[in-house]
Amino acid sequence: MSAGAGVDVLGVEGLTCSFGGVIAVSRVSFSVPRGELFGLIGPNGAGKTTLFNLVTGLTAPTAGRLRYRGRDITGLPPHRIAALGIARTFQNVRLFGELSALQNVMIARHVRTKSGVVGGVIGLPSARAEERDTRRRALALLELVGLADRPDERARNFAYGDQRRLEIARALALEPELLLLDEPAAGMNSGEKRGLSELIRGIRARLDLTILLIEHHVPLVMDLCDRIAVLNFGELIALGVPAAVQKHPAVIEAYLGDEA
Amino acid sequence: MSSSLLLQQVLNGLAIGSVYAIFALGYTLIFSILRIINFTHGAIFTLGAYATYALTGARFGFNGLLANAALPLHLPFVLALIGGALFAAVSGVIVERLAFRPLRTRGSDPLLTLVSSLGVAVALVNVIQYLFGAEAYSYPADPFGQLPSAMNFGTSTEPVLVRTVQVIIFGVSMVVLALLTVLMNATRTGKALRAVAEDTVTASLLGINTDRLILLTFVISGFLGGVSGTLIGLSVGIAGPYFGIAFGLKGLAVIVLGGLGDIPGAVVGGLLIGLAESFVPAQYIAYREAVPFALLFVVLLLRPQGLLGRAVVQKV
Amino acid sequence: MPAFLAAYDFLLVSMVLAAVLALSLYLPLMAGQLSLASPGFYALGGYIAAIISTKVFPPAAGLYPVPLVLLEMAVAAVASGVLGVIVGVPALRLRGIFLALATIAFVEILRVISLNLDVTGGAIGIFGVPQPFASQIHYMSLAIPLLVLCMLFAARLERSRTGRALVALREDELAADAMGVNPTRYKVLAFTVGAMIAGVVGALSAHFINTWNSRQGTFDTGVSLMAFVLIGGSRTFVGPVVGGLVLTALPEALRGIADVGGLPGWLAQFLRDGRLIIFGVMIALGTVFFPHGLITPALLERLGRGRRHRVEAA
Repeated sequence: MSAGAGVDVLGVEGLTCSFGGVIAVSRVSFSVPRGELFGLIGPNGAGKTTLFNLVTGLTAPTAGRLRYRGRDITGLPPHRIAALGIARTFQNVRLFGELSALQNVMIARHVRTKSGVVGGVIGLPSARAEERDTRRRALALLELVGLADRPDERARNFAYGDQRRLEIARALALEPELLLLDEPAAGMNSGEKRGLSELIRGIRARLDLTILLIEHHVPLVMDLCDRIAVLNFGELIALGVPAAVQKHPAVIEAYLGDEA
Repeated sequence: MSSSLLLQQVLNGLAIGSVYAIFALGYTLIFSILRIINFTHGAIFTLGAYATYALTGARFGFNGLLANAALPLHLPFVLALIGGALFAAVSGVIVERLAFRPLRTRGSDPLLTLVSSLGVAVALVNVIQYLFGAEAYSYPADPFGQLPSAMNFGTSTEPVLVRTVQVIIFGVSMVVLALLTVLMNATRTGKALRAVAEDTVTASLLGINTDRLILLTFVISGFLGGVSGTLIGLSVGIAGPYFGIAFGLKGLAVIVLGGLGDIPGAVVGGLLIGLAESFVPAQYIAYREAVPFALLFVVLLLRPQGLLGRAVVQKV
Repeated sequence: MPAFLAAYDFLLVSMVLAAVLALSLYLPLMAGQLSLASPGFYALGGYIAAIISTKVFPPAAGLYPVPLVLLEMAVAAVASGVLGVIVGVPALRLRGIFLALATIAFVEILRVISLNLDVTGGAIGIFGVPQPFASQIHYMSLAIPLLVLCMLFAARLERSRTGRALVALREDELAADAMGVNPTRYKVLAFTVGAMIAGVVGALSAHFINTWNSRQGTFDTGVSLMAFVLIGGSRTFVGPVVGGLVLTALPEALRGIADVGGLPGWLAQFLRDGRLIIFGVMIALGTVFFPHGLITPALLERLGRGRRHRVEAA
């Protein structure tokens, strides 16, 4: 690793984002050290997904900076950020629906492969070897998320929970160092949620990942995460280990306010 | 450039631009409500021009299925124009049923709707050709009785001559525009139309019946297309079944310039393109046809929301 | 058979060229971009061939050398590619309908320019483009290899890293971007390759048609090409090829049916003269009933299931 051990994987500095006067994220700062499983919670509309969009370059910040392994990535386009090693899933699942599960994962090998038009079309030995490797790795990832039995099934035909797992496989194909999971347990039953927790723990351990997790299901977050940040109306109102955050008065108020 | 020549060009530009404006309004109204481009608009324009021709009692040529046919009536030109526009309006409704509604009920991709409307446009234009042949037609020489061929808007020493036909089409366009303004601003239906145009979701929450309004939009759009077809036919003749297609493409330039779906923008865009065309220097006159498209290209690249439009934020 | 070839030589070559041209429109569509720019590059390629063969190389007795035709095709490909990048880089920032409109404008601008330049022969165009073959059917010796090459290219592309990037853009541009696919780069790439193919077809067509003017490669051509792709099928390269071949033959086929006899007079006449009406109605009906066209990947899968399984097992 070129980045030293002391450098955080993600640094968020005074990040602000507003849409036509509405402030979605307001002066949020935090940093995520390497290997951490970092939870992001908050009521609906608190700015969690916007924060993900900012980190992955889909939305440009109004102010503030983003650092990835010490490098300033503010304002880079999404594909450049992806190439640096930040991968994500989407809150409302954005798979390539008409394509097979295997193709979905193979596409995300894009930045880790390099065959050009000519090599691919003519079928140069290097391109063919790369293609075999891409397929092998994609199949292994499907295996990892438990979908290895249906590689040729169209993505849109999978059950909702399986689509979420497929999205995780696709994100992992990028060989990210930082993985952003946007409500991966949404729509899953309790058995599936347990399986998902194990999967997330497993991939962190096996792939040496840093993970940012947005999740509504509070027990899951409390159980999984090393630290948790709480957003409310775009502001960071609490940050700490699960036990501390749970007792934080501002958090209790925000959640009760949401219920009322 | 002398001031009289300048004035002459302004007047000519406004005349043609006013037709662009009402034609483009027909496009933009539909876009504002359905978010699609209705490529049949050029064919509707042609239909209007042919219908007016038929209603004046003039005879068709030799090549089509209806060679030498003529309607047994001789409407005065103004009535024929209104009749032709009404015929175009009815055609608009039929087009909505055939090309748009089936796709809308299936929730299809807007690009497919565009393709479907192109298909219907091709079919319509070729129905015209099948029935009336490919030849050019022109309206009776004196549709409004004995008028001088040109009018002088200057002095006798410094004349500013404008063809009477140009003055007439400007006048008719202004009347149509005034009627439309009243309809959109002073009637319940018009207000509902504007509400839907600005925000379909809110409009449906407010209980505005969008299906009926969509139909009404196609009626108005068809009427506007039909009137403009007749007016352009009056100015330069009906150059055959395909003449609406070329005009339809220019109309696209107008609505993009004004901002897709922007109603005042279509009027401004129409007048601007009319003026821009009339100010092409004489030695480059052959390139005039390219002016709307060059403007279209430049506006798309620099300001895709149009001259008057606001940028839209994409939602992730 | 020779009699058939002789009677339908023009039609057969036209069918093959139409299939290649349909592929030129299909390529950007692979990346989800509806571009109607192909006719513009087709026109450009035609003018390049017509100018080179009539003005650069002075006409000589006998047949025009085939290597020079190939040279013209290469020049047309390069010129179209360069223009493709120049137009594509700004234009492909536009999405959906806006891109379609910009490409329509591009075609119209080229048409008006060609109508007014001396080198393109103005309104009259360029006459007497020399013939490299004694008979029109011999154009097949260039047209068929061109079609096969382009089909091979498209087929291999669909199964390569680049092809996957294009299809990802079509399915969900934002997700593809977040997965590391550079949208602008791949859209411009698809657009440019499509432009090059259209330019090459134009160059060959100028010889084949023998004359070239501003009526070649207009908005109407764009509508036809779009029909080829969308009726044939827009999700696999087989679709545009079948669409181009079949729909180009359709008018002749309708005429043939009309000539069979036994049909009522009005119907026979309609089949002869109303073919474009039928064409338009087919486009409209196709969008409703076959939104992905007649030939879909699922259909090909069903047809070739046994074969493919053997290949993948190997």
